[in-house]
Amino acid sequence: MSKVLALINSDHRSVRWGTVIFSLLVGAALWESVGWSFNQAIMAPLIGGADHPGTIPRLYKYIVHDEEYRLSLLQSVQLFSTGFALAVVFSVPLGIIMARLATLRVALESYILVLYVTPMIALIPFILSILGFDFWPKVLVVFLFAFFPILYNTLEGARSVKPELLEVAKSFRSSEVAIWFDVLIPYTLPYTLTGIRQAAGRALVGMVAAEFFLATSGLGEELITASRNFDMAGVLATILVITGLGITFMRIAQAFEQKYSAWRGVNR
Amino acid sequence: MSVDLNADGPADGQSDRSARIEINSIGKRYGDLQVFQDINLDFNEREIVTIVGPSGCGKTTLLRCIDGLLPVSEGEIRIEGELMTTPREGVAMVFQHFGLFPWKTVFQNVGYGLKLAGASKAEIAEKVPYFINLVGLDGFDSSFPYQLSGGMQQRCGLARALAMEPSVLLMDEPFAAVDAQTREILQFELLRIWDMRPMTMIFVTHSIEEAVLMGDRVVVLKGRPSSVFEIIDVNLPAPRDRSTLAHPRFSELREHVWGTLMDEVRAAEFDVN
Ligand SMILES: Nc1ncnc2c1ncn2[C@@H]1O[C@H](COP(=O)(O)OP(=O)(O)O)[C@@H](O)[C@H]1O
Ligand SMILES: [Mg+2]
Repeated sequence: MSKVLALINSDHRSVRWGTVIFSLLVGAALWESVGWSFNQAIMAPLIGGADHPGTIPRLYKYIVHDEEYRLSLLQSVQLFSTGFALAVVFSVPLGIIMARLATLRVALESYILVLYVTPMIALIPFILSILGFDFWPKVLVVFLFAFFPILYNTLEGARSVKPELLEVAKSFRSSEVAIWFDVLIPYTLPYTLTGIRQAAGRALVGMVAAEFFLATSGLGEELITASRNFDMAGVLATILVITGLGITFMRIAQAFEQKYSAWRGVNR
Repeated sequence: MSVDLNADGPADGQSDRSARIEINSIGKRYGDLQVFQDINLDFNEREIVTIVGPSGCGKTTLLRCIDGLLPVSEGEIRIEGELMTTPREGVAMVFQHFGLFPWKTVFQNVGYGLKLAGASKAEIAEKVPYFINLVGLDGFDSSFPYQLSGGMQQRCGLARALAMEPSVLLMDEPFAAVDAQTREILQFELLRIWDMRPMTMIFVTHSIEEAVLMGDRVVVLKGRPSSVFEIIDVNLPAPRDRSTLAHPRFSELREHVWGTLMDEVRAAEFDVN
């Protein structure tokens, strides 16, 4: 009995991977059986077959054989990357400057807190009425979704820089610019990257929301079209694509996070 | 480790690496808290002065003022006649908390001050290994601070300060955070390094033994707000080494300072509890 328990709780590689695979198989089987027991306009199975079109075959068709779908995917990725990159470029320096200048921080802090907790999706009608339907209003939506988590975490990080280290810098007669590169940025980077990881998930929501509510385009449009046609396999396949994007962005951010926080002596 | 004690360091040949420091009736206040007052001290060239006093009596604050990190509230500090207002070339500090940059390697930490001072890559590549070797950290160039023991981290902090080839070295309880055996080793190594390149050293400690062992003179801080209670000429034979600890004069001085500070230490203890 205790041997069985020890095996179950072991974090040996083979046990861990075995558990992951088993769990995924159970999930897939469940999905498959639910898919087969509903009408195809309500739910699609994973693999599917005759008169129950499957999600995986549809995904394969989309990615491999559907030029138009690939264009939609590219459109979405472009939208995401542009909005996200702009959010990083603006939020990181602002966060560090705010940590260095108490007055600026006091002036902006309440706005940031309010906007950080505001559901950005509620702002979409304003953006629509003020800026219209183009590419750039959509970028603004993605930007807004990503901006505040990064700013917030960067500010937290830059504010928690050890005063002892700033004192060392001062004692060695460092210039303000050198303080940024030697102390503030390296210290803040792990926090910023945590913000970036959180922001990646939010920006993805922003991307789909923008493609829904402004001029439909990209994966959002594919999703709407498929759902209007009661094509559940298509809907689920697109959801899988979006999920895949999310996991990819998150993993990339995580990899950076680990790389640049190695000096903390954890994750080893 | 073998270091030739008279090795040609990168900056050998500079005959004058020491400075004269004058402290004229300085005081320091944090708001309503008067930390110390009416402190008058002179530090000579190539002299080791230890400053001893109980925790919280303002030793760190005093060093910060001397380094130019903090303005004094009263009086003035002059180094080579120049008024001290902001950190100055030729003065380097070793911190109680080590103050290493955790994301920099030992090499980068030791080269930090040189880089800020505008040294070329070649100059840094020449000097840094010399000082890493001097403090006995050979082979750890590319280690990060979290991979080093406390004693080794402070060796790194010491090398970073020495690399500036300062004429004034300020030491703020540099060995307070390392274990007892390591502390002893580091004390003697520091004296050995000082012998090779003598400079004005102001060494702050709360350990009476350390103060007597390291100092040419011992300054005893006492009172609330604190001020200089006594300045003792140590006059122990050079070189100071383990045998110094057994010298009758050493225990005599230690007991003397202990007697002076005992009531103060007690008061501080009750203050904390
Ligand atoms: N930045 C500061 N603001 C207010 N009080 C301070 C500050 N730094 C130190 N103090 C106070 O000044 C006194 C002396 O501190 P410090 O110089 O660190 O003493 P020591 O180094 O001798 O232990 C302590 O009572 C401490 O609480
Ligand atoms: Mg102190």
